[in-house]
Amino acid sequence: MHKSLGRRFSRRGFLAGTGAAAVGITFAPKVGWGVEEPKLNFYNWDTYIGETTLGDFSKAAGIEVKMDLYADNDELFAKLKEGNPGYDVIVPTNDYVERMLAAKMLLPINRGLITNFKNIDPAFQDAAFDPGRKHSMPYMWGTQGIGYRKSAVSSPPDSWKVLLDSDEYSGRIALLSEGIIEAALKYLGYSYNSTDPGEIKQAEALLIKQKPHIKVFAEDNGQDLLLSGEVDLTMEWNGDILQVMEEDDDISYVVPKEGSNVWQDCLCIPAGAPHPENAHKFINYILDAKAGAAIAEFIYYATPNKASRALLGDDYNKNPAIFPTEETLARCEPSLYLGEKLERIREESLTRIFAA
Amino acid sequence: MDAPDGRRDLPPIILLVVYSFNDSRRNIVWRGFTFKYYEKAWNTESLIEAFVNSLAIAVVNTAVATILGVLVAIALWRFRFPGKAAYEGFMMLPIVIPEICMGVAMMAFFARVGWPTGLPWPLTLSNIMIAHIAFSFPFVAVTVRGRLVGFNRELEDASKDLGASEWQTMRYIVLPYLRPGIIAGALIAFTLSLDDFVITFFTAGPNSVTLPVKIFSMVRFSVTPEVNAASTVLIVITVIATVLAMRFQSPSRRAGGEEG
Amino acid sequence: MESWRKNPVVFWLLNLPPAFWLFVFFLVPLGIVWVISFGEKRGVIDIEITWTLANYVRAVEPLYLEIFWKSIVMAGIATLACLIVGYPVAFAIAFAPERLKAILLIAVVLPFWINALIRTYALIAVFRSRGSINFGLEWLWEQANALLGLVGLGELALLGEKFVPVPLLYNNTAVTLGIVYAFFPFMVLPLYANIEKIDRSYIEASLDLGAGQWRTFFSVIFPLTWHGVLSGVIIVFVPALGAFFIPDLLGGTDSQLIGNVIERQFKSANDWPFGGALSFLLMYLTFGALALRAAVSGRKQGLEA
Repeated sequence: MHKSLGRRFSRRGFLAGTGAAAVGITFAPKVGWGVEEPKLNFYNWDTYIGETTLGDFSKAAGIEVKMDLYADNDELFAKLKEGNPGYDVIVPTNDYVERMLAAKMLLPINRGLITNFKNIDPAFQDAAFDPGRKHSMPYMWGTQGIGYRKSAVSSPPDSWKVLLDSDEYSGRIALLSEGIIEAALKYLGYSYNSTDPGEIKQAEALLIKQKPHIKVFAEDNGQDLLLSGEVDLTMEWNGDILQVMEEDDDISYVVPKEGSNVWQDCLCIPAGAPHPENAHKFINYILDAKAGAAIAEFIYYATPNKASRALLGDDYNKNPAIFPTEETLARCEPSLYLGEKLERIREESLTRIFAA
Repeated sequence: MDAPDGRRDLPPIILLVVYSFNDSRRNIVWRGFTFKYYEKAWNTESLIEAFVNSLAIAVVNTAVATILGVLVAIALWRFRFPGKAAYEGFMMLPIVIPEICMGVAMMAFFARVGWPTGLPWPLTLSNIMIAHIAFSFPFVAVTVRGRLVGFNRELEDASKDLGASEWQTMRYIVLPYLRPGIIAGALIAFTLSLDDFVITFFTAGPNSVTLPVKIFSMVRFSVTPEVNAASTVLIVITVIATVLAMRFQSPSRRAGGEEG
Repeated sequence: MESWRKNPVVFWLLNLPPAFWLFVFFLVPLGIVWVISFGEKRGVIDIEITWTLANYVRAVEPLYLEIFWKSIVMAGIATLACLIVGYPVAFAIAFAPERLKAILLIAVVLPFWINALIRTYALIAVFRSRGSINFGLEWLWEQANALLGLVGLGELALLGEKFVPVPLLYNNTAVTLGIVYAFFPFMVLPLYANIEKIDRSYIEASLDLGAGQWRTFFSVIFPLTWHGVLSGVIIVFVPALGAFFIPDLLGGTDSQLIGNVIERQFKSANDWPFGGALSFLLMYLTFGALALRAAVSGRKQGLEA
């Protein structure tokens, strides 16, 4: 009785201050650890896991997995900010891993339990945003660039100029509603993570000037606009464009020559996770060579798992839209968490761009 | 990119139904007829669970919010009391507040009071139900009050003069008169609850996902036929439920008299 | 209206449950955000309550005031459109045979029992360049051209060389339409409840006395349903002010409304104090408008009495 009471209530100190709670809080972690109920709550993006991965894991480990979906990092962050409502494994992007670390919202990962860590490409075994990989495990990575309709452009739009500083395709361009200031900074020759208000101001002016030629600031659905013929060029993430390339041969993807954003989604355990031990088992399972290969093959994103890649064919491994060349990658930057003050400067800039 | 035929000028909802049979992972170009997304939606346990959650929340919400809304409407119509204007103003707040602000407020509230999360089934939905009732009963109150404004007060007085008790007057005079207002209000409450995404998103936990929350996260990337299939099923079920409800209701309506 | 003292038991029975709910499950949560709106950010999630007014000062900068104004105009136009379309519908339902009424009411709300987002996406499928409406227009264009060809004017290409799709999406008109579509039942339902109670004999009397259809409508029916109109206008206009995913999905590059700005503060910008300040400013504005309306209608009632 104490056991279950403790597990249910202790996390938020529902009965804090009463004697019952004191019992619950002292006993719950000890009792709970080791005899964790065989459940796991996984909070993930949609279409971002293998077709049978969850079922396979349940069979192998005897743990029932429940997956909920979120649509962007901001939602994930907002949802966990006031306290974890019960999730065990989440998949934030690198800059949000950094932000959550700054807010102490992640639990450390016990490397001893992640035996499959050796499968990871050495290049991903450490990360600037999480030194020593203490709180995150790499899941998938990719780039941001331009998706376009081949028959509608005179030449491949390999520069941000086509989208941000030209009237050649006026009215046929979609930009994403996030990350545009960063892309404009890159086009202007500054860092993707510029902290200089003057440079941000220049990016803002460029975007306001370009607005008459832009059809829409899309949510994360530029690929749909492209496929339906609503626009001929769109700023998008590579994975999204790859999915529509399967449906339509006339669509292609390019990383602009000025460089762009390279991102990495990570598996993390949020603070307050009710089943941390199961979470470790689950993360370890995903890093398994075969399981990882099945996921990568299904969702078509670049995996950092070397052992998984060895199991996959050239279709996947040599696809330039999944794995850009070293040269292209060298021009890309990860987005960094730059502190709350800069978030505000960018947010105000964005408001002015949309209002203009 | 060939123009798909046979879909000209269809109303949005019908288009949605049609496209649930589309044999394409995406919903943009027609690629042939299939049932497979129904099979898929049916096999997606979480979709069904979300659907059941949504319905349970909407039903409880409609019952409680309608009662609370009618109480407020009658109280405001009948009584004069100090601070009435302010009270009325506060009652309007849930209508006035931006959804996202209320969602965040609810999330902060439940996190701070430490609302328990690991409860057994209908109780896991309790915080969403509470939030839904809080924002929907003022809508009911506004609707019912609109109806009450022209009510002939003499009827009430006559009833009391003739010796009817407070309760009898309410039951046989006021409520029958209010009926269309109550029905309209209840429909609004049901609709608001079934349709709400923002506030639910912020109050939902891993075991209390509703259909709109589920669909929202799926749809943000692309509208798959699976989503259309789930929505079509939802429409069919609600139509059947409504028809049945109306069937069951009609005899009692006759008995309830013609006033209204 | 009687004084509450006359019947305190009934008074408390009626008021206690809703007042309790409102206070505990609405005002207290809202109070948290209200307090936060006087706070300052100290870190990623730390907010210190310093009772500063800085967030409110920032919220009344011209940048935000313009967005407020734009939202008011858009919500106003959408509400008016809702009223113009909704009134005849409500009227038809109210005067329909008893048997049909329930079915018609359900027909109005039924589309709203599937997700708002899906509905908006369905709207996109209809409106987009290669959507139903444009396909319909293209068909008409072809027919018209064929007709012109028949009468020997084909070579002149009077209707242009090629059909140009009408841009129905990604502009402010699309946003207005989207809002009308989204809030339609909230206009129809209160109107229905009010129109339904009109005493038919008034209408007959007016018509018998020689007033035309129009005159009967504007000087008899409409004034009698005035309260329903007000209820409908309030519950459409006010939530429409805070709409955000409709402009997100249907709007063009200049369709940012205050709801979008508020949403970003609570999400990507992670600035709850400012988001709270903007939300409360919006609420104060709405309250001002409502108080004004109460004052106006109060005077009107006074005149009538």
